[in-house]
Amino acid sequence: MPYRTAAKNGKSASIAGAKSEAADFERTQTQMSSPESSSSRNFMTTRTGRALTEAASLVRAPERIIPLFSKLASDELRTALAHRHLYSYAAATIPTADALRSVVEWIFHAQRPDGGIAAYYSLLTGYSDSYPEVTGYIIPTLCDFGRLTGEPAARHAIYLATNWLLSLQMPSGAFPGGFHGSDSGPDNTAQPSVFNTGQILQGLVRAHVETHTETRKAEILKRAAAAGDWLAAIQQADGSWTGPAAYQGAAHTYYSMVSWALAQLAAESGDPRHAAAADRNIDWVVAHVQPSGWIDGINLRGYPAYLHFIAYVIQGTLECGILRQRDDAIQAAAKPAWVLLRKFETHKRLLGTYEPDFRGGQRFACLTGNAQMSCIWLRLFEVTGDLRYLNAALKMNEMLKQLLPVKGRRGAVGGVAGSYPIWGAYQPMRFISWGCKFLADALMLEQRLTREFETKFTTKLEASECAQ
Amino acid sequence: MRAVILCSSPYSETGCALTARLAQLGYVPVGALTLPSWDRRTLLRKVGQWGLRDSLRYAVAKLSPGKSKIQKQIRNPHLESALRNGDGVFRSVREVGRSYGFPVVTCIDQNSPRAVAQLKRWSPDLAIFTGGNILRDEVLNVPRLGILNAHLAVLPEIRGMSSPEWSLLCGVPLGVTIHFMDSGVDTGPILLRREFAGADGCDSLADLRNKMIAEGIELIAEAVAGLDRGTISAVAQADREKDCQFFVMHEQLKAVATLRLNKGRLNAAGGRRDGSGRSNG
Repeated sequence: MPYRTAAKNGKSASIAGAKSEAADFERTQTQMSSPESSSSRNFMTTRTGRALTEAASLVRAPERIIPLFSKLASDELRTALAHRHLYSYAAATIPTADALRSVVEWIFHAQRPDGGIAAYYSLLTGYSDSYPEVTGYIIPTLCDFGRLTGEPAARHAIYLATNWLLSLQMPSGAFPGGFHGSDSGPDNTAQPSVFNTGQILQGLVRAHVETHTETRKAEILKRAAAAGDWLAAIQQADGSWTGPAAYQGAAHTYYSMVSWALAQLAAESGDPRHAAAADRNIDWVVAHVQPSGWIDGINLRGYPAYLHFIAYVIQGTLECGILRQRDDAIQAAAKPAWVLLRKFETHKRLLGTYEPDFRGGQRFACLTGNAQMSCIWLRLFEVTGDLRYLNAALKMNEMLKQLLPVKGRRGAVGGVAGSYPIWGAYQPMRFISWGCKFLADALMLEQRLTREFETKFTTKLEASECAQ
Repeated sequence: MRAVILCSSPYSETGCALTARLAQLGYVPVGALTLPSWDRRTLLRKVGQWGLRDSLRYAVAKLSPGKSKIQKQIRNPHLESALRNGDGVFRSVREVGRSYGFPVVTCIDQNSPRAVAQLKRWSPDLAIFTGGNILRDEVLNVPRLGILNAHLAVLPEIRGMSSPEWSLLCGVPLGVTIHFMDSGVDTGPILLRREFAGADGCDSLADLRNKMIAEGIELIAEAVAGLDRGTISAVAQADREKDCQFFVMHEQLKAVATLRLNKGRLNAAGGRRDGSGRSNG
């Protein structure tokens, strides 16, 4: 499939794709007043232009004005009247199964005709183009949902998404960065991206596991292995990924998500090179853990450390540690996860961004990061049996379920907003597909683990009764 | 023994019952320091905890003229004997203060300079905490002996919130611990620790908690008497640094904890049935 060379409909051509666009949007105002180099002024002008373009698109689609103002008003009202209660321990009115269905239906609706999943639905501009990175790692979520509910739509969505992703793979085995068609180099060729390749690899490995046709199964594994080979080949000796295929050319600890994907691939392919590459990266990440629990090296120049990225570091390290049976990695992940759990329990909320050593940050809620933390706590409960992790995750899920729009337009209903309130710094005015993915993961984990725990608890009680 | 009571509100039933119980035993406090009852945060917290209907019912019981039935005026029925005042009940710490002649002072924050100054004026040997703010060192250091707290679990196993519920869920024996407060969460030296044997008759977690609160008041009275006579002394917690802090329990887990409570109750009922059967036979 040919790669487009220009951003369409005013949408961003940002290197890191949709995830950093919103930060650009938010930072525009603050950076306008500071003296900067001409290149950064151009950059700012682009961002201002982008924000204006987004706002101007309301003129082309005035039907979006009412949902926009209604969401703004409801968040304003909620923050004014019930701020403290958002994180209260009251049970949500939405049952977990219903919330899960509505979130997954949001994902189904976000699937574009090409098979890719849109990055977001903006209250200003509507659906974005298909986004390869998220399309990749949404596949495991759809697989889990399909297994749980037997929903045929999930199987169909996985098939379309996998086909689309396979069509994007580059001859090197890598996958391109950014939006579909947006991230091209000076000679109009797509630029490979380590992070996107890793995230897409997760989807391919899972699609391979779930596929029953032998030829297709083998083909998907072959393509996944090619991606894994590329990742292993360009890895630095210290285990990190830097260079042109890494975002901003720098090494990032949140690429632990890539090592998780490599560990998943190694479990399927049996190729020790993939396992070794995952281990090398996790060694590098674990070396960045500070005594406070903070993991250094998120390294996003010009952006604060959003909870989303902090959670990426933790989640990738934890999951890779579980798969590779590495206690040091699990401990390294448990440390910041516990710090954040204590913050959540004490303050009834997590901040949207954190300064190094969790010293403070911006007060909006990064809902995606919150959903990721719920997944992390649930997995830590599964690994350690510590009920405090389960308890915190249940409360976090309640809070997230309370914030799901139950009424409204397609694109908004059932969607997870980038920020709460909707104008917060992370992905303002948008419902984002990776937020839905992580919330769906958290809700499915919650259902499974609470069921298992209740069964185990009842059995233990009955056994103790028999013993008496 | 110069004792001061710290309460979360003048209408705090636990604070009221404890104050009355100590006064009945001859330990009339030199004063009580409470947070205001109409504080927005307190009201919101209570509505969040109890729901609007229960909160309203509580407010009506505490504020309406005391002609309604005693049971209607008391939220925790196990505190009735401590709260009894002639034909009625004490409905606020102020009423206890008027009856026994000690001042009740309201402050916005128990850590505020005004509150600390007031505490210093009372120059207490001991303070007893029944609720309010997280206390800072400036307050903790005022009473000569320290500030006592009744924790509704066996320390150091279960620290923090929802402690009876966590004890049930984690399979730790239920209990009440009287300890001095320090800067940590339930990490201070222990004066008394007793396992709680009254869970069998409880039909809900709320009932269990109410019973344990009543037990805690009796234990505090015992501790105050012991300290006064010099017959008990505090022992530092062995696992002070161990992270045993638990947090408010989610409703779904409370439902699981209730299973254990009910199972215990059924077993106890079964045991009693067996026992009576044998004696009849």
